[in-house]
Amino acid sequence: MSGYKETALKDSCFRAGSTLCPGCMESVAFQNIGRVTDNGVKTIFTIGTSCAEVSTLAFPNVVAWGRGSDSPDDFSRSFAILHNVFESAPTLAEATRDVADVLTDIGAMKRPVQILSASGDGGALAIGLRSLLHTIHRRARITVIVLVNEIFANTGFQYSPATMPYADTSTTPAEGTPGNLNPPLDYLHLAIAAGAGMVAQLSPAHGKLFVKTVERSLQADGTAVIFVPAPCISGWKFEDGQTIELALLGARSGVFPAFVWERGKGGTVKDCAMDAAERPDILEFLGMQRRFSHMVVKDKKTGEVKARPERAQDIEKLRAWVQSNVERVYGLGQLMK
Amino acid sequence: MSTLDMAPGASPHVATPGGEMYPDVIDLAKVKAAHLPLYTERESATTDGNTAAAMAVLQMWRCLIYPGFPITPSTKFIETIAAKVGAQQAMGGRKRVKLLEAEHAVADYLVAASAACRDLVFVTATSSVGLDHMTETTRSLGASGLGNAMIVNVYRATANFPLCIEGDPSDTLGHRDDGFIQLCCRGKQQIYDTVLQAPVLGMHPEILTPTMPGFYGLKDSHRNARFTVESDAAIHAWQDKWIKPCPLPGLLNGDTAMGNCVTSRHFQGFKINQKRRIEKVIDILPQVGADFERTFGRPGLAFFDEAGFEPGAAPDIAVVSMGPDFGTFEALRSRWASKKGLKVAGIAIRLLNPFPRDAVRERLAGAKVVLVVNQAHHSGRGHLTLDIADALSDLDQRTRIVSAFAGIGGADVSEPTWEAMLEEAHDALSTPPRQSYMVFHEGARL
Repeated sequence: MSGYKETALKDSCFRAGSTLCPGCMESVAFQNIGRVTDNGVKTIFTIGTSCAEVSTLAFPNVVAWGRGSDSPDDFSRSFAILHNVFESAPTLAEATRDVADVLTDIGAMKRPVQILSASGDGGALAIGLRSLLHTIHRRARITVIVLVNEIFANTGFQYSPATMPYADTSTTPAEGTPGNLNPPLDYLHLAIAAGAGMVAQLSPAHGKLFVKTVERSLQADGTAVIFVPAPCISGWKFEDGQTIELALLGARSGVFPAFVWERGKGGTVKDCAMDAAERPDILEFLGMQRRFSHMVVKDKKTGEVKARPERAQDIEKLRAWVQSNVERVYGLGQLMK
Repeated sequence: MSTLDMAPGASPHVATPGGEMYPDVIDLAKVKAAHLPLYTERESATTDGNTAAAMAVLQMWRCLIYPGFPITPSTKFIETIAAKVGAQQAMGGRKRVKLLEAEHAVADYLVAASAACRDLVFVTATSSVGLDHMTETTRSLGASGLGNAMIVNVYRATANFPLCIEGDPSDTLGHRDDGFIQLCCRGKQQIYDTVLQAPVLGMHPEILTPTMPGFYGLKDSHRNARFTVESDAAIHAWQDKWIKPCPLPGLLNGDTAMGNCVTSRHFQGFKINQKRRIEKVIDILPQVGADFERTFGRPGLAFFDEAGFEPGAAPDIAVVSMGPDFGTFEALRSRWASKKGLKVAGIAIRLLNPFPRDAVRERLAGAKVVLVVNQAHHSGRGHLTLDIADALSDLDQRTRIVSAFAGIGGADVSEPTWEAMLEEAHDALSTPPRQSYMVFHEGARL
């Protein structure tokens, strides 16, 4: 394991020039993952169609991937990336792993490779849930990164199975309605149940833990799945400079608690108390995003966030959902296998 | 050994249009050495078509992993491979079967495995809606330049309402824009031989296009026949003569990006390049087929099979068809032609994509009437009819085309049906066809 500072100085395989929105958490995540993988092992990424794909692999405008300004002399610093359709990323990574393994098995390849896949929550949890779960079920020795921005951001901020209750999306519009009414899919539990070796819900807002978790995932027994809560500046509609703050608040308030679980060891929730009184109130999280402006109103002078009177009952329901969500994640931590 | 234990250091590498390649990373000689032969000498075998195709890919040293998912009538392909690979594993074999959860996943797997190592060959078999389910990715695969991917398509009606599990080529014909080299086989020998030749064609450096050999479900997939099986060593020697290390890097031995989005300005270039690569098949296929025949003493790949053409004498009626029902035509051709006092000849198309337009036109030139037998549902006059009409459109003298549908849903094209269609072609020698297309079944015009 590398130290945090040491990792920060490494060469990321995610290069400058992507067309991701300024302030996008996906960019921050890729920068961090890109540095963690600069560890002396050749890196291969697979990526499904998503914001992360159309904004980073749009030849000739931008191919924001690669390590170093030129192809490295040292094979272990070389980098390869394969893109295919939305749901495909985990299967692509699994196939690449298998080919590397069988070549290694017969002595035809002696250099190790590390393989990661990247999908959005649309690609992994909606159209690609089948691919995700079956790749996990087959214990593919890869790290699966799922960037969870709770919407189909790439196609214009539509509902996804990870959308939190009451969110305004372009297909659950809050125009006289309370927005999305479906609770999100319990993807953490699904990944554990499918047989993952390691499951985490963690963003780079928890910097050290994120880096350490990605490092551990590369050595995991079986499939490691890291769900990265990814505040979307365009879809969640928050102000510049608030990405990390919002990610931290979402985790601490219980919307997406930071969680790391390993098979045989169980899991722990970080930085999010079980007791609601010890957590930031959900109103703070909602108040930072215009996707909840139908639920709360912010006083421009004092900054105080209040429930809109007509949505008071809905806010209480949302608080109840958040509490059940926190308890659910704590409960998952008790699972040993 | 930890993946972190390998000391860094300079590695030999070469620049390619697809990025940097590190050629020493994969030692193909070790892959070849790890191959356990299925046959050590030439033998004859009696099997069904699925088994014949499976045997061919089992004999290739470049095939290490076989991804698959069952679907009627192709299922026995993966079952055969699973049984043989399992038996070989007990003897130290290193090949693997990879069972996935759906055809789409199989196609995804093919993309990445083929991209991971462009010098290995990855093959699966499917049919009908299985091929449809792959479509989102087969189109990516077709454009990818990955000539080392092969989908064996066992024909079955792709229109699923009503369901029909018999051999109707509407599936493969519905996928002609997927970007694969599509080869139609009839008979076990041709199936076996075509599968052996397909990667030679697809991996040719001027082609680099995935292949889709196909044969009729049930008629060829399930019926047994005797055919000659070559030794693994002979196959390896022949394939190695043609297949050289890929000039482009894969994911494992390259510093590369594959499958990118491109802007519309560059999209044109990619697609033109894809089109030109597949059109190279027209030049290279005859060379591969001829060399196969020189090596093994059997006909190799060809644009079409033919029957009844005489040097310097154009036929009165030329038949265009495909698949095993052409054999019924071959059996009755001479007798029917003598009875009518006509010259009758025919071709069975083997290369469906790219369509061998010029060779077909040359072969059919001078025929007074061309009878085209379509065996798949089509909203117009028939897939083959459109191709033939296009091929003949450049001739100075317009050729009369009789377009027929027969054998749809995998029904046998019986002798009475052939005779009924030939009668229509006979009538067309003197009067235009009564309809733009006609449908025949069991000797009757419907």
